[in-house]
Amino acid sequence: MLKKTEEPVKDLKVVGTRPIRPDGVPKVTGHAQYGADYYLPGMLWGKILRSPHAHARIRSIDTSKAQALPGVKAVMVGSDLPEQKFDYLGPDRVQVNFWHMTRNIMAREKALYVGHAVAAVAATTPEIAAEAIKLIEVDYEVLPHVIDVDEAMAEDAPLLFEDMITRGVNPSPTKPSNIARRAEFKIGDVEAGFAQADEIVEMSFKTSPVHQGYIEPHACLARFGADGQCEIWSSSQGHFMVRGYTAKILGIPVNNLVVHPAEIGGGFGGKTVVYVEPIAATLSRKSGLPVKIVMTREEVFLATGPTAGSSMTVRMGVKRDGKIVAADGVFKFQAGAFPGSPVMNGCMCAFSVYDLENARAVGYDVVSNRPKSAAYRAPGSPIVAFAVESVVDELARRIGMDPLELRLRNAVKVGSPTIWGPKHGHGGFRETIEALMNHPEYKKPLGPNQGRGVASGFWFNGAGESAVTIHVGEDGSVSIASGSMDVGGSRASMAIMAAETLGIPYEKVRSTVANTASIGYNHVTGGSRVTYATGMAVVQACERIIEDLRTRAAMMWDVNVDDVIWEDGCAKPANPSVGDFKPLTLAEIAAKRAVTGGPIAAEVAINAGGQAPGFSTQFCDVEVDPETGAVKILRFVAAQDVGRAIHPSYVEGQIQGGVTQGIGWALNETYVYNSKGEMENAGFLDYRMPVASDLPMIEAVIVEVPNPNHPYGVKGAGEVNIVPVTAAVANAIRSATGVRLTSLPMSPPVVLQALESESASV
Amino acid sequence: MSETVPVKVVLNGAFRPWTEGGETFEIHAGTLKGVLRELDRLYPGLGEVLEEDTAVAIDGVIHEIVYTQKLNPGSEIYFIPKIESG
Repeated sequence: MLKKTEEPVKDLKVVGTRPIRPDGVPKVTGHAQYGADYYLPGMLWGKILRSPHAHARIRSIDTSKAQALPGVKAVMVGSDLPEQKFDYLGPDRVQVNFWHMTRNIMAREKALYVGHAVAAVAATTPEIAAEAIKLIEVDYEVLPHVIDVDEAMAEDAPLLFEDMITRGVNPSPTKPSNIARRAEFKIGDVEAGFAQADEIVEMSFKTSPVHQGYIEPHACLARFGADGQCEIWSSSQGHFMVRGYTAKILGIPVNNLVVHPAEIGGGFGGKTVVYVEPIAATLSRKSGLPVKIVMTREEVFLATGPTAGSSMTVRMGVKRDGKIVAADGVFKFQAGAFPGSPVMNGCMCAFSVYDLENARAVGYDVVSNRPKSAAYRAPGSPIVAFAVESVVDELARRIGMDPLELRLRNAVKVGSPTIWGPKHGHGGFRETIEALMNHPEYKKPLGPNQGRGVASGFWFNGAGESAVTIHVGEDGSVSIASGSMDVGGSRASMAIMAAETLGIPYEKVRSTVANTASIGYNHVTGGSRVTYATGMAVVQACERIIEDLRTRAAMMWDVNVDDVIWEDGCAKPANPSVGDFKPLTLAEIAAKRAVTGGPIAAEVAINAGGQAPGFSTQFCDVEVDPETGAVKILRFVAAQDVGRAIHPSYVEGQIQGGVTQGIGWALNETYVYNSKGEMENAGFLDYRMPVASDLPMIEAVIVEVPNPNHPYGVKGAGEVNIVPVTAAVANAIRSATGVRLTSLPMSPPVVLQALESESASV
Repeated sequence: MSETVPVKVVLNGAFRPWTEGGETFEIHAGTLKGVLRELDRLYPGLGEVLEEDTAVAIDGVIHEIVYTQKLNPGSEIYFIPKIESG
């Protein structure tokens, strides 16, 4: 179902079509090259020794026996990386502390989680490397550990950093704690707002940390030459990010490092940081030979970023007429072993779909003995939405109002205030609600043990730096090179926008991703930014190409450039008085490129702004088995404002993918820790992600309220779809059973226990 | 230097160490660079912090900090934390 809420500003011929993806054939035939698929002559295999302890001081590391093993060519420990200054760099929500980062890549004073890298070797075979790491002797002083966020905040909790003083508190605390940071956003007078309320709901929630669950493990190949020049082949969400972080960790200039983008087997935010690249490069520098490292699935779970777990309390008040008058939330996020959870994002997103005069969100970034959290699809927003949207559902029940109607009455519009300061500059939320209100399945009756749940979500969407180059080939075909990793189909989207702008068929355009030495800097592929920002650069580059083509056509006709227009892929006389000239195709002008000035090319580098946020509203129907507690998803409908769907199939795929990941988060996914802080389910058999047989067809309703700041109205499509899912499922379970679940995952044992507790209390 | 127009600049509580409590400013500037220059003149060092650490919402629409960003008369300008992407 495709719902267009606003018509395009002009007739679009290619935008909105569903052509074949350019990366499809290599992927389905097995020829696509991912991070693990690269080989070089003389290549060594790297292997990483990881901590068996959740929290331990490292007294010493003896690598002599490993170094002596035949076939071992290099061994490294944390101190082989240059020390970094302790400093939080960059904006609050994206701060990087390289003192922390280098210690996450390889531990120094302490191991802070089971799986924390403590040493690495490079050997001629994977088997020798695996044998060698067993010979490394680490003398640990095992320390008490803490994993749960509430326990980590307790006065007597074991401290991960004995000198960590909470930032964002004035005056600064005098005692260290595991609370890295406090953040607060507020608007209006919250208590005065609650005083107006007819009904107030307050509930506390916990969510489990979940992994991004990309199929492809982290993998890279590094070659560090004797001349100081380094090359890395790796899959990531941004090869410029890999270059920048790795160069900083290694202490080399960025132009001494070329990063080649491999195909990526999923990222979802988890591949916006580096783990193995600095290690492989260091082992290569030491050995003088290329080094390849491929993580196992277990290593991915133990040592790479999940999103944060949380503990939250949300209180909201509503009047009988459905006006929400106050909202207050405390959000405590597990950052993992180093500061940097997405709690500030969470605070800012928490109430951003509602037009509120009085609201407050307080967040805590808390370290604990588990892997450092990394971004995951709309980082922070899905976590807080579980709490807020569950409370909103209870508010609707209290006043006897349809949950979509309640949301519509409080929906933000252009000019509505935000908790973080500015007024909303874009609409689109109301349209997602109305799309579901008008959906034929929304009023459909349900059977026994079945229930329907509704929830909404907000995500900022991103923009930022992108660079592209466009070349017109000798035959008039067009090549695009960008520096944005293609995670979700951007090569096709770039080709579509170029074809639309140039007025030529999609098949005439080929889009690629260039390495870091061949194109200007591009920010990571994340934040739903690439179709917007890199797409804007592509359109601008095409416009430059058109100006160039008009100039060349004018030369060929001996007329002024103002007498030439570009229309339907051809140069034409602007009017009959210019002369009787047959339109010149791109191929005909390209054939004359030499005599008209040489190659036809344009490069555009921009720092795009003006992005618009994403809104999503979803409903799902579930059936709960009262004997087992198993929850079956019967129907899932997700409406999302994307501005304009450049390639609707990709947009639908994004929506379906986000919902699927949200369903896993809602029903099954969790880290199971034993008393030693060891993860007991570090594999896809035990870490239960949804598979096709768990799911119905997820219906994506594309809502298009174009962003006027983008030439084709793009807003971004990749993230907000995951935001409402856990609450939609929880609200549906509430409808089916009468039981409100307040912790994730809502797995069969949890649901069953809640059902039994409910029946025991009746 | 471009023609200046009056704009309203709002800094949230995170910037109180610089602004000594003042949060809303009427400034004349033609571009975002002019706003940064004026705020840095009022509170030395603040301009660089805003440039490095924030994004900006101009009449509700979020932009990266780019010097040449044009402003309209009466524009409402908020400096906000940058977005973490996923």
